Amino acid sequence: MENFFFYFFAALTLIFAFLVIANPFSNNPVTSAMFLVLTIASLAGLFVLLHAYFLAAVQVLVYAGAVMVLFLFVIMLLDLKAEEERHIRAFGLGAGLISVGAIVSIFLISLLKAPLLSNPAPIVHGDTLALGKLLFNQYSLPFEIVSVLLLVAMIGVVLLSKKELK
Amino acid sequence: MSYLSILNLAAPETIMVMTALAVLAADLLFMRELERGTRQLIGAMIGCAGCLAAVAWMLVLPLPEPGSLMQGLFLVDPLIRIVKVALLALTIFTVLISMEADFTQHIGEYFALILFAAIGMMFLVSTEDILMIFISLELTSLSLYILTAFNKRNIKSAEAALKYFLFGGMAAAFTLFGLSLLYGISGSTNLAEIAKAVSGKSVNGLDPLLIAAIVLTVIGFGFKVAAVPFHLWAPDAYEGAPIPSAAFIASGSKVASFFVFAKVMMIGFKGAEGSGSLQAWMPGWVPTLAVVAAASMVLGNLAAIAQSSVRRLLAYSAIAHAGYVLLAVMAVPSPLAPHTSPLGPLVYYVITYGLTTLGAFAVVSNVQQRTGGDRLSDFAGLARRAPLLSFCMLIFMLSLAGIPPLAGFFGKFYVFTAALSSGGKSLGLLWLVILAVAMSAVSLYYYLLVLKQIYIMPSTDQDTPRPLSIGSQAIVFALAALVLILGCAPGLILEPVMSAIKVAGL
Repeated sequence: MENFFFYFFAALTLIFAFLVIANPFSNNPVTSAMFLVLTIASLAGLFVLLHAYFLAAVQVLVYAGAVMVLFLFVIMLLDLKAEEERHIRAFGLGAGLISVGAIVSIFLISLLKAPLLSNPAPIVHGDTLALGKLLFNQYSLPFEIVSVLLLVAMIGVVLLSKKELK
Repeated sequence: MSYLSILNLAAPETIMVMTALAVLAADLLFMRELERGTRQLIGAMIGCAGCLAAVAWMLVLPLPEPGSLMQGLFLVDPLIRIVKVALLALTIFTVLISMEADFTQHIGEYFALILFAAIGMMFLVSTEDILMIFISLELTSLSLYILTAFNKRNIKSAEAALKYFLFGGMAAAFTLFGLSLLYGISGSTNLAEIAKAVSGKSVNGLDPLLIAAIVLTVIGFGFKVAAVPFHLWAPDAYEGAPIPSAAFIASGSKVASFFVFAKVMMIGFKGAEGSGSLQAWMPGWVPTLAVVAAASMVLGNLAAIAQSSVRRLLAYSAIAHAGYVLLAVMAVPSPLAPHTSPLGPLVYYVITYGLTTLGAFAVVSNVQQRTGGDRLSDFAGLARRAPLLSFCMLIFMLSLAGIPPLAGFFGKFYVFTAALSSGGKSLGLLWLVILAVAMSAVSLYYYLLVLKQIYIMPSTDQDTPRPLSIGSQAIVFALAALVLILGCAPGLILEPVMSAIKVAGL
């Protein structure tokens, strides 16, 4: 049963992610954003299968909810038109196909040859209590660095969106 | 682990964070009304004072008892201290170069972001944990993206930043994918623990998942160090970014990235080296890097010949130099001579390379301020207008080409020796070293092209040029003197590094 759900959600994630960037029916950025919401929702399904319930909830609340609303705000604020068809250069297409092909073949070979793990990963305790304990004890230093990282991001956004006076 | 012990061990980083916040606050609260020159002076002084305080803390106070904070999340040992002091020195020079900058009104933010990038690099070099590596890599990259986009009046700056950002995002995804595979294989984020799990599994050949992890990690770090074929962002970023930002990307970021790249490969993938020797090719990370290094050296040097912009030329030369440094990363000590760690030559090479390229960018900055461009023709006749500056450029270019007695020569010499001695008697990496020497000879051609413009071509502009400020000349001169001194006495860096490596037991 779990296997079935894994393949179900994984396939959904891949299909929706593909539709975000290369939708054959619509070039509208809003459509892409909506498919991104669906991608994130299916990812949350994968997290549930890993027993990481908190992460799944955060994924839906923060990403599918808050962040995507902001995305849509920005898209509508800028009044983005549907993207025009671009012609792809042959060189770019060739280089892209070769590099994607190389990476895909590495993955396929690894997957087909990899032995099944004898001791599959233990069930993760993904509840808030365990997460909070880890975050503020063992991983307090990375936690602090992430706060500096967010400050940098904030400075950058203010700076880049500000109108230059002269 | 309590916050007090973090403060104690990571005191230099804490000082730097407080300095960055102080620069930001001072500019926003007290200096809005002042002239730009004064604001730049005060901001730079606060930044330099903070860096110097952090250096002083590391040099004066004794090491805290050896050991790691939080299972290898944060390490303090003599080698890391040396690299951090070098990073801070490069930061100080970058801050001093940006004092002349006239591309932005947001001075506090500019200095603060340089310091934040430096903080990311300091954390990056002092960890052996893939979680910390990823977070500090992101902190550094994010600060550098913004620094690249800083010149909002110049469309090229925006283009450079967008390319850098998109490539960087892709590379971060690859890094994360590779590191998560490593975590999946080993169940640990610590490099030494990963190596234990990795080496136990290679019964017949490598674990296939490990091969995927190696390739993905190399892609991610290859982007950071601008190695072929992950180099496409570098020429545009070097050309479009404001000069101090480009100089910092080329110097500080390279030092930190190469150090941590080497550590991840040597410690994390220990036991999965394989062999890059032509006679006995074995899968592992050494042959992967060998291909990348060879491509970087060939493409970087050949493409540099065709450039007409000095900044693009420096970018392709940086790609070529990335290839040379990768030789040191590959020089795994053979079981016959376990005490010759290649980290010593690597650290010497990247530090002297950082100083040299920073100096070259400082000269380009001076020329660009007077002529408005960085084409090769803008350098024509520079020797008659600014003899001292031209002489410094001569030193930087010859050092990049690897002419004795400059630092660049000894860097290459030590790196090539380390690569040769790594395979024991079989000289496995000999073909790469031969390629590197041949390509160094090619590189001399385009460095001499720059010098030919400076010394031989007649000057094109007839106006009396604006006199150079004493300050910017002094910075260039100090950097040139450092390159010369470190070349004449390589022991100044190499000896402390070697004894530190012995202490660290690498």
